[in-house]
Formats: sequence, structure tokens, C-alpha cells
Amino acid sequence: MSNAVTNSMLTELGKRLVSGSLSDEALMRATGDTPNFAILPWANVVKIGGQSIMDRGRAALMPVVDEIVANLPKHKMILGTGAGTRARHIYSLAIDLGLPVGVLTVLGTAVAWQNAQMLQYLLARHGIAFLEPEGFPMLTHYLMERGAVICQGMPPYKLWEQNPDIGRIPPQRTDTGCFLIAEAYGARKMIYVKDEDGLFTADPKKDKNATFIPRISVQELLEKDLNDLVVERAVLEMMVNARQIHEIQFVNGLKPGQLTAALNGEPVGTVIYNAAANRGQVI
Amino acid sequence: MSLTPSAGAQHVVSALMRESLMDRGVLARTESAVRHILPHLNVVQIGGLSIMDRGHEAVMPLLDEIVANQAEHTQVIGVGPGVRSRHILSVGLDLGLPTGALATLSAKSSAQNAYMVSCLLASKGFVYLEAPFIVQLLPAMLAAARGAVFNGIPPYDLWEHPPALGKLPPHGSDAGSYLVGEVFGARNVILIKDVDGVYTADPKTHPDATFIPDIKAADLMAMRLETLPVEPVVLELLTRSKLVKSIRIINGLVPGNLTKALAGENVGTIVRS
Repeated sequence: MSNAVTNSMLTELGKRLVSGSLSDEALMRATGDTPNFAILPWANVVKIGGQSIMDRGRAALMPVVDEIVANLPKHKMILGTGAGTRARHIYSLAIDLGLPVGVLTVLGTAVAWQNAQMLQYLLARHGIAFLEPEGFPMLTHYLMERGAVICQGMPPYKLWEQNPDIGRIPPQRTDTGCFLIAEAYGARKMIYVKDEDGLFTADPKKDKNATFIPRISVQELLEKDLNDLVVERAVLEMMVNARQIHEIQFVNGLKPGQLTAALNGEPVGTVIYNAAANRGQVI
Repeated sequence: MSLTPSAGAQHVVSALMRESLMDRGVLARTESAVRHILPHLNVVQIGGLSIMDRGHEAVMPLLDEIVANQAEHTQVIGVGPGVRSRHILSVGLDLGLPTGALATLSAKSSAQNAYMVSCLLASKGFVYLEAPFIVQLLPAMLAAARGAVFNGIPPYDLWEHPPALGKLPPHGSDAGSYLVGEVFGARNVILIKDVDGVYTADPKTHPDATFIPDIKAADLMAMRLETLPVEPVVLELLTRSKLVKSIRIINGLVPGNLTKALAGENVGTIVRS
């Protein structure tokens, strides 16, 4: 029979939830009045950019790899990889062929996967493993034993990716995937390693008048409605709703020491923070 | 294919080379027509609380109707989770687990329901496909088999979006079924519930509630109804649809409704993009 749970072991909220409507705003708000348990509060999620770092090859990547190795004794790192220029190529081709966004996500995931596998070849001698989403229940073991683990940055949405507001490119890519890992695990830090010092008022590669922004709230950034951003727009939108990750940091991987400084909690690069973060008590 | 070294990075030549994929101008230039991969597909979603949890008396007539339409219509059946999901969400919330963990847990409840449906339809040639097999095998399976059953909840798992309100995973089986329809360019997405469609209020408690047979997703969102028979996020997804421009919500307790909906007749509520 319908709604066959009458067990009084349920909490008051649980009793309402068992038969309640998911469009009932009061009930949904009540689900937010619950505590936040941080699953891996000591883990740092570090995203290695695709186009910005991986595609540059040895000159850019090896110093980043060395810096990761140097930090292994001190910081636990979940290393996510971006996709980059091969993703841009296959997105162009697939769009030309009329394929939908979900198929583009499947294709783009393969590129982030290639980069993750390459990074794992470089870190293998240090005992660092590469885990696919299906292996994530094992992740804590590798982090505690070896200090780091590699994953591909794309969220595992596959054909279930959603259409973007504008155009045909998957809106939730590797910046978003890494952010959501950090949010789900209640990680200590979310650090993006790219090839710029952080956020600028415009793309500094194209606009010489672009000025640097060292620290800004996500609310202010969304309000500025910039035409271009250092991070996927979806990350900013999710940050507003996030309960555990209250700031994200962007560092320049081409400048040795910046990743280490960020891991040590120094205000290097750009920090985007949530000015309204107050969602649930931490337990 | 050619490679071009530039500013230290090795680029593959493409229209998007060196472009920022966050740039709205670049994104707008990617706008173009999308192909229907499986235009004959009908995605039929069986509700968890509304149908599955009622057991034999609600489920079996519906499955008989699916089978009766098998020769005429290619159907893939999404299945929702129901009360066991509500229970584990309740326990998980009490423990303080994050949205992504709740999504991972809840998805197993609908997987159970989908597996049961696939067993009940097995003798008619329906196969059960987990997400990786939907990606790799659905077209081949539909060419060889007589239909497929899948877990309605999308495989977002730990990567589920934090919702704007509260903490529950926003993408349930309605959203997952809609997204399967959208990506394949399906002919129909039909959500089977235990009400005739959308009303201005719950007709069980509000006798003066009026029925809404046909409405745009944006208008329905603006009404902020307390007892919407579809996940609110589906309305949002519909506003960005490229291929599936409407969904139909029908009452699966009324024999013949699914047959009418598959035939394109006016039954239940149609929500348009």
C-alpha cells in the first residue's frame, strides 16, 4: 500500500517527508534546518586546468607535479583534471554533427579522463591512484595512505547533462565537477590551478586593460554579470546554494609556490567567497 | 587535424581553440540545430510513491497496458523510488549527510523499483539497463529487445547540485526521465502518477481546486503550487529544452490513459517548454 511507513522511529521531519510533496516550500525549507556533517574535512580538492596547464605539456605540468609531491606529507589532496583543447575540438565537431549536450558531456569526459590518466602516469611512482566515480567509496583509503588521489574533473552526468542557457556546450564541466566533490565531502579547500593570477575584469589574454580582483564575493561577482569568467558560471550559481564550501581559490600554476601557499591557507591569487554563507550547523 | 603551438600550449585547431568556454559570445556562436538520435522513443516514467508503492493493484494493470502498446510504440520505462527513498532521506538528513550523499543513497531505492519492473516485464523482452548501459547500449538494445527499463534517478550521485531551498537532491526520477527523453530527442515523455494531472491545489483536500489541462512551464513555475505532481526542477529544464518541448502527466490508476497518451491524444496535463 501507498506510504507504508508508519514507524514512530522517524523524526518529525521524516514523518512529514514520507508523504509530503517535494514542491512544498515549507517542507523543503525544513530539510535545510538540519546539520551538516563534513565527510572529509581535511581533504583539499585541487583542480589542474586542462587548457591552462595540461595542454602546455612538460614546461607547465612538471613543476606543478613537483609541487604536489612536495606537499604530500602535509596536505591530503583530491586532484581533479580539466579537459582543454581536445575537448574544444570534439565539442566543435559534435556540434557541427548536430549531437545533443548529453553526448558532448560523454565526449568531454573522455578528454578529462585522458588528462587524469596522464597525471597518474607522472605520479604513479609516488603511489598515487586514479579513481573513477564508481571507485569513490575507496577514496578515503588512498588519501590516508598516500596523501593524494586523482580523478577526472567532469561530473558523471553523461547523457543526463542539462542544456545550457546559451548555446550547446555542457554547462557543468570540470570546474563544477571538482567543486561538487569538495561540497559533498565538506572539504577544507577548493583550489583551482590555472594559468592566470586569478580573476580579472576581462580576459587578460585579450584585453590589456583588464584589472586584477584579489577577493570578491560570489554575490558581487554574479551581480557584475561579466561576459567572461575565470570559472564556469555553474560553480558561482552552486556556491550560492552550497552548505559546506564557502570560498574557492584560483592560483597561477605557472608560478611556483602559489599552490603551496594556497594549501597553507595564504591569500594568494583570487578568492571568491560566499558573503551569505550560513546554512546549517556543522557537526 | 593540425596542431598549433601558441603561448606555450599545444592546441588542436578547432572553432573553439583558445576560446574561453565561459564567454557568452563564444557560447552564443555554438547555437545550432540538434539531431533527434532516437525520434521514435517514448519515455514512460512510473511514479514511486504514486504507483510502485501501491503494489499489485496499481502496478500490474499499468504493466499490462505497457505490453499492450509494445507492438505499436517503442517504450523505455523509467521508474521512481517512492517511500524507501523518503525514509533514507529522513535518516540521512538526521545524520547531517550532504545532498550528494543523499542522492547516492536515494538512487538505490529507484534502482530496486526499476529492477522489479524489469523482472515483471522480462517475459515480454524488456531489459534492465543501468546508466553506463543506457550510454552504450540503449539503441542496440531497442533494435534487438522489445523495450528497456532504467533507474529514473539520474546518475548525479555525489555530484548532485545543492538545491536553492533545503537539502534534498533536486533531480529525482522525473528529471532523469525527462533528460533521457531530451538527449535522445524522444517523441514523448510521459510521467505516470496517481492524479489526473496538475490542479491549482490538492483536489483531495481542496474540492474547489481547478484542473489545468495545458500550461507553459514558466507559467506553472510562477504559480509556486504546493502540491505539484512533478519535480519542480523539471519545469526549469523544460524552459531550456531543445528537442522535447513538452511532458505529459497522466493518472496511471485509470486504465487507458497511457494508451491515449502514447497515441498523442489529449489526456492528463501537458506542460510545454
